[in-house]
Amino acid sequence: MQSEQAWSDTAEVFRHRRAAPIHLWERWLLGILLFLGLWSVVYFGVWWFRLAHVNHPVLFVLLSLATWYGIFRMIVGWYNAFHLEQPDVQAARDGLSVAIFTTASPGEPYEMFVRTLAAAREILYPHTTYLLDDTRDPRFGELARQMGAVHMELIGFPGAKAGKINEALKRTDEEFILVLDPDHIPFRQFLHRVLGYFRDPGVGFVQVSQAYHNANESFVARAAAEQTFSFYGPIMQGMNGTGTSVAIGANCTFRRTALDSVGGHGLGLAEDLVTSIRLHAAGWRSVYVPEVVSRGLVPADLGSFLKQQLKWSRGVHEVLFHEYPRAFPRLSMHQRIAYFMIGSYYVVGLSTFIYIAIPLIYLWTGRQPAAFLLSEYIRHALPVGILGVFIYRFAQRWLCDPVRERGLHWRGTLLKVGSWSVYLKGLFLSVLGIAVPYIPTAKERRRDRFWRLARVPVITVLASAMTVMWTVWRELYLLPESEVRITTEVTFGMLFFMIMNAILMSGRLYAAWIDREREET
Amino acid sequence: MRARKRYQIAFFALGWLIAIGVLFQLGLGEGFQSIYDAVSSRTLRMAQSFSDAEGNALRSVRHTSRSEYLTPMRPTLSSLDALRNPSHMLFGAYDGGFPNTFAGLEKFEAQMQYKFPIISFYVAWGDKPNEQFPTRMVETIDRMGSVPMITWEPWVVDFDEGIRKNLSPEAEREYGSLAAIARGEYDFYIVPWAKGAAGYHKPIFLRFAHEMNDPYRYPWGPQNGNRPEDFIAAWRHVHLIFQKMGADNVLWVWSPHISMPWFEYYYPGREFVDWIGVGVLNYGNVASWSRWWSFHQILEKAYPALLKLEKPIMICEFGTLTKGGNAYEWYRQAFYHIDHTYRRGVRAIVFFNQESDATMSTAALNWSVTQDPTARSLVAEQLATHSAL
Repeated sequence: MQSEQAWSDTAEVFRHRRAAPIHLWERWLLGILLFLGLWSVVYFGVWWFRLAHVNHPVLFVLLSLATWYGIFRMIVGWYNAFHLEQPDVQAARDGLSVAIFTTASPGEPYEMFVRTLAAAREILYPHTTYLLDDTRDPRFGELARQMGAVHMELIGFPGAKAGKINEALKRTDEEFILVLDPDHIPFRQFLHRVLGYFRDPGVGFVQVSQAYHNANESFVARAAAEQTFSFYGPIMQGMNGTGTSVAIGANCTFRRTALDSVGGHGLGLAEDLVTSIRLHAAGWRSVYVPEVVSRGLVPADLGSFLKQQLKWSRGVHEVLFHEYPRAFPRLSMHQRIAYFMIGSYYVVGLSTFIYIAIPLIYLWTGRQPAAFLLSEYIRHALPVGILGVFIYRFAQRWLCDPVRERGLHWRGTLLKVGSWSVYLKGLFLSVLGIAVPYIPTAKERRRDRFWRLARVPVITVLASAMTVMWTVWRELYLLPESEVRITTEVTFGMLFFMIMNAILMSGRLYAAWIDREREET
Repeated sequence: MRARKRYQIAFFALGWLIAIGVLFQLGLGEGFQSIYDAVSSRTLRMAQSFSDAEGNALRSVRHTSRSEYLTPMRPTLSSLDALRNPSHMLFGAYDGGFPNTFAGLEKFEAQMQYKFPIISFYVAWGDKPNEQFPTRMVETIDRMGSVPMITWEPWVVDFDEGIRKNLSPEAEREYGSLAAIARGEYDFYIVPWAKGAAGYHKPIFLRFAHEMNDPYRYPWGPQNGNRPEDFIAAWRHVHLIFQKMGADNVLWVWSPHISMPWFEYYYPGREFVDWIGVGVLNYGNVASWSRWWSFHQILEKAYPALLKLEKPIMICEFGTLTKGGNAYEWYRQAFYHIDHTYRRGVRAIVFFNQESDATMSTAALNWSVTQDPTARSLVAEQLATHSAL
């Protein structure tokens, strides 16, 4: 409730913020926590991988993959946290030539550009703003002139953003280019906070936090924002420490010579990531500035969110399958790990699918993946879980804007678990090489039919409900009493996991219900 | 921050980890162990209450329960003294589906129109979850109204070399294993098992290291340097641990192979034994070493010696194959002799309802009475007669 208030106070939301500095005692404590975490993983792993635990070999392998995929990601996250590093503030030198590129595509609302261009004009460091426009809407040229921006009509270039940027690069000559997403409202100090780092001639790009101002607009907006808080907080700061901070999302400032050296901005669904991996492979360094110097829009309705997630998951896998192998030999070891972790993030769709399938398989066919008691499992897995949550919470002290961002992020988790089918689809599309069209994420709330938005979670919940009924029926009327009793633990354990999975679908169901199409009367 | 500083922190944290490890060695581990024991016994109890709730729901829907059939025998089956010297013949059954399923037993009982007061199954020693004390199984059997009999087989090679550093390597472990048990090398396994048995509180028949005098069968036989005195020492050691853990609810079934000589030398002593167990399985002519033996032919030679021990005798594995003779005749004669020749000694009979026994030879053997319709109706009749007495 406190955070609701924090989000509605506009003056507070649009203030410049920087993540809290890292104190020495915090590093020591984090070090101890990380080692305890590692110890808990070893304790769990030694117990998990026993031949005696294999019951159904195929299912056991699947369950192990899902479980250890999650734990592996957590360990790499811990390793990353160990390298947490914030760049010292560097004052920007005067006299640099800076361009701001912002792009307009058909369908994007005019009012958004009024705000963004007005804010860009207010940025204190001298710069030129360019509006790269293919809307064919005369109002946009007029607006650019009013706001003191240069209007560039760029029609027929590939991609939504990257093609226009590359063409604009040819027509301009500024040394530094800030690529500003049109939904982002930059603060006045933006350029002052990033340009100083280019004093180091090896720095190719400087990324800032991507923050949002509409996170309290809806459940989906809040959930989607929650999914990014830790990434732009401790995670990217850790990546900064290992020299792997990536250009991702909006608001990256590039050195022109760096972009030129890799043939311009990359194309594709995850074009920022493509650009980033190419720049790193070419030997450019990157800096992550853990500061909020602009705020943009996060998808506020479920349909847009799911489309964005599909686009990202498809794009990120594209990078993993195509860009990553090419860049691999020229990346540092840390960069290899980092890009692999980003590239495999959406495999979470597959592991969630396995988690959902296993109780269903048991309750319908009696095939049980592992031969251990639930109590044994809890005993060995609990330390990992507790330390995982503890470290996650501890690292939240380095969020960019803790007042608004701290918390358990349960909405984000619910929506992430509920969107598993989208991630899985993205993975399949990438494996099969099927393209997804690039559409800019919608900037206003849209409605859609409930069924279309919530097909998979509804099916998941219905399947669970049917399985509960079938299990009760079978236990009450079909199985011998002794049979029912000998399987009590497994049956209740599996029922418990299945119902948990069904409950985890509730976030997406709720969001779909809110965003459903309604008869307007 | 420089890399050096980072590694200082790492080493500092590592120091903490080592300190914690040392604390564990010094007894913190035991503290955790006792917490864990408390938690796990509570979860077991919770699982049992779930199971009982299920059982009540089932009873209210089906208006019948297996345990009701056995209610008249309740006084005998719940009393250790009565079970040490039962007034009626006790019947029991093992089913090949154990411990995964009870469906086979239910089918067998439906065909026999009888509910067996003793349910027999086998547990091997080892680290696997199904080698620990089978709480779920015995609780289920209890709620079904019967008494469990566990044949407890010291397959010492089933302990994982990786986590049992104090044991000798697997390849050498079987040699002299009974002496090792007597020395206490396996107490880490026996103690929790005995605690589990004690926690169950109700009577259990325990048949430990059966057929210890047969050099051709199990690794705890004499072929592995296990002498009679080693067996006796091991038996008494295990017995002592059960006493210390408060497992007074265990009925000890000493079960030699009666066709092999010198089984008397393996007797641990009257205060350590409650029942004599005997396997009477007729292999017919399935193997070169076997021929058709009747029940009487198998038992008669050893019987006087067994009778001298003054303990009730249980036929722990009772059955015949059908190849090489007439199964109906075998069972008819067996029951005749049980009722006349062996009336004084034999007090319990456990059917070996295993339809595919793969332990002996290439082909799976079918020991079930039910495969021969005439034998089946004969045995069903016998069961009815005996329980009416």
